[in-house]
Amino acid sequence: MDGNAAAAEAMRLARVQVISAYPITPQSPIAEKLADFVAEGSLKAKYVRVESEHTAMSVAIGAQLTGVRACTATSSVGLALMHEVLGVASGCRLPIVMAVVNRSLASPWSLWCDHQDSMAERDSGWLQFYAEDPQEVLDYLLIAYRVAEDPRVLLPAMVCMDGFFVSHTPAVVLVPEQETVDSFLPPYNPANLYLDPDDPMFVNDLTPPSDYTEMRYQHKVAFEEAFKVITEVQEEFFRLFRRRYSFIETYKCDDADVVLVTLGSMSGTAKYVVNELRAKGYKVGVLKIVVFRPFPADQIRNALKHVPVIGVMDRSAGLGAEGGPVWIEVSRALSGLEPMPKVAGFVGGLGGRDLAPHVIEKAFRNLIDIKEGKIEMRQGSKWIDVREDAMKIREVKVNV
Amino acid sequence: MIQLKLYGLGGQGVVTAGKLLATAVAIYENKYAQTVPAYGHERRGAPVYADVILGEEPILVKSFVYKPDYVMVFDLAVLEKGVDVTEGAHANTCFVVNAHQLNPEFPFINKFGSVYYVDATKIALEVLGIDIPNSAMLGAFAATGVVSIDAVCAALEETFKGKAGERNVEAARRCYEAVRKFS
Repeated sequence: MDGNAAAAEAMRLARVQVISAYPITPQSPIAEKLADFVAEGSLKAKYVRVESEHTAMSVAIGAQLTGVRACTATSSVGLALMHEVLGVASGCRLPIVMAVVNRSLASPWSLWCDHQDSMAERDSGWLQFYAEDPQEVLDYLLIAYRVAEDPRVLLPAMVCMDGFFVSHTPAVVLVPEQETVDSFLPPYNPANLYLDPDDPMFVNDLTPPSDYTEMRYQHKVAFEEAFKVITEVQEEFFRLFRRRYSFIETYKCDDADVVLVTLGSMSGTAKYVVNELRAKGYKVGVLKIVVFRPFPADQIRNALKHVPVIGVMDRSAGLGAEGGPVWIEVSRALSGLEPMPKVAGFVGGLGGRDLAPHVIEKAFRNLIDIKEGKIEMRQGSKWIDVREDAMKIREVKVNV
Repeated sequence: MIQLKLYGLGGQGVVTAGKLLATAVAIYENKYAQTVPAYGHERRGAPVYADVILGEEPILVKSFVYKPDYVMVFDLAVLEKGVDVTEGAHANTCFVVNAHQLNPEFPFINKFGSVYYVDATKIALEVLGIDIPNSAMLGAFAATGVVSIDAVCAALEETFKGKAGERNVEAARRCYEAVRKFS
């Protein structure tokens, strides 16, 4: 099954009770498949048809407040339209879990993959997981529900998958038994706010400056607690399902002198390139970031403290910043190390451009050249796959 | 790792063929398979393609295919529409082509690996009554030995179910028998 099918299957296994999803390419198959599950009776849930993503999230918030497990899914401009209510969900500490199928933001209009949509929401107070393949989509969604609903956390979670490269790429997925999932993920039991006419309370009311900072602080502490909870949940997931996950995945990093940091589907291609380069004698590795929020700075620092040259591949432009957002955070995580590694940033794979093996290899070759002193590391992110005629395409000359 | 590219026209079931082949190999031969369909501005009759990767081990690469080991051409009309079906092909790349007969002028003749051909459109029209040659082409592809005809048929039965499944299986088996190697 592909990533979209794996997401729908995970939602069914999680026995979600309310679904409010608005279709958008490349997420639509999730909305459609969940509708099929409800229609055929294999998922006992209320499917609410909504007229926009803003409403999809609003319905999920209302549903979760009544004490049921809610789910939704979206992409790109749909996620952008949700922006306002994403903060309501996280600020009300509602453990809604959402599949995000990564797609570029307009404009230029594009249906295809990059990470700008979810990167734009990285500080919205949601947990963020990034899946490499359909199996990880299914597994991270189940893990996300458990982490999100833990009373120590109570945060909503996005499980992100690359549009088309994961969402529409069928691959082998091991689907766990319902009974095992039931033992891993018991029925939702609201531990914070709830809506009950017999026991009314204020929810999301006007909060004066005297309390706002403290409520934000609670929110921040929840992310700190999430480190412990995610570790526990991943451990239990391994015990029940025999697949081991962590905040990061290191691939051949132990003896590496060059490592590329990746996110999402590009990680698989990068591992493939590592095997090819290792066959030629280069000591290269990959560090995949699985959990981006909370950001696993300690884990990354520990895994890379012996590596002299590190690259970070961003699949979003980081417009106006010194470089891509992942590069900025990884650089920050590694700062202060003695000796300080060189941390080079790359931007690539925008708007569906394929981060093919030859593109990843170009990034590795660049890092190897830095390692061997053949080139200087440049400041900011290097655009690894931009065409040479970039400044000439679609040129419009007015009144010439 | 075996990499394939499937070329055809919108409406011929090219993307579905990629998924069927992945199902045949992953589910019925217990190996690994993935397809990356190139979605875009599809419309009936326009050139479309799908990429498939098969392997004995889990497949790490998550990208399109650039150096195909096998190329399936569902409709030679793609050549007239400017599609280069030999792009990235190497000395051993094998072509499986939907054609009644082959013209030595075709770009894939005598430059790469072996070429198989069969009139999959005729068989699809006879068996299914419609010009959707995807199940027939998968039957022809089984002649290369990369996937067994039984696995292809099992995937067709699972996907199309009932009478439609039976007819697609027949189209595949007839093509498997009829396919010829160009020499």
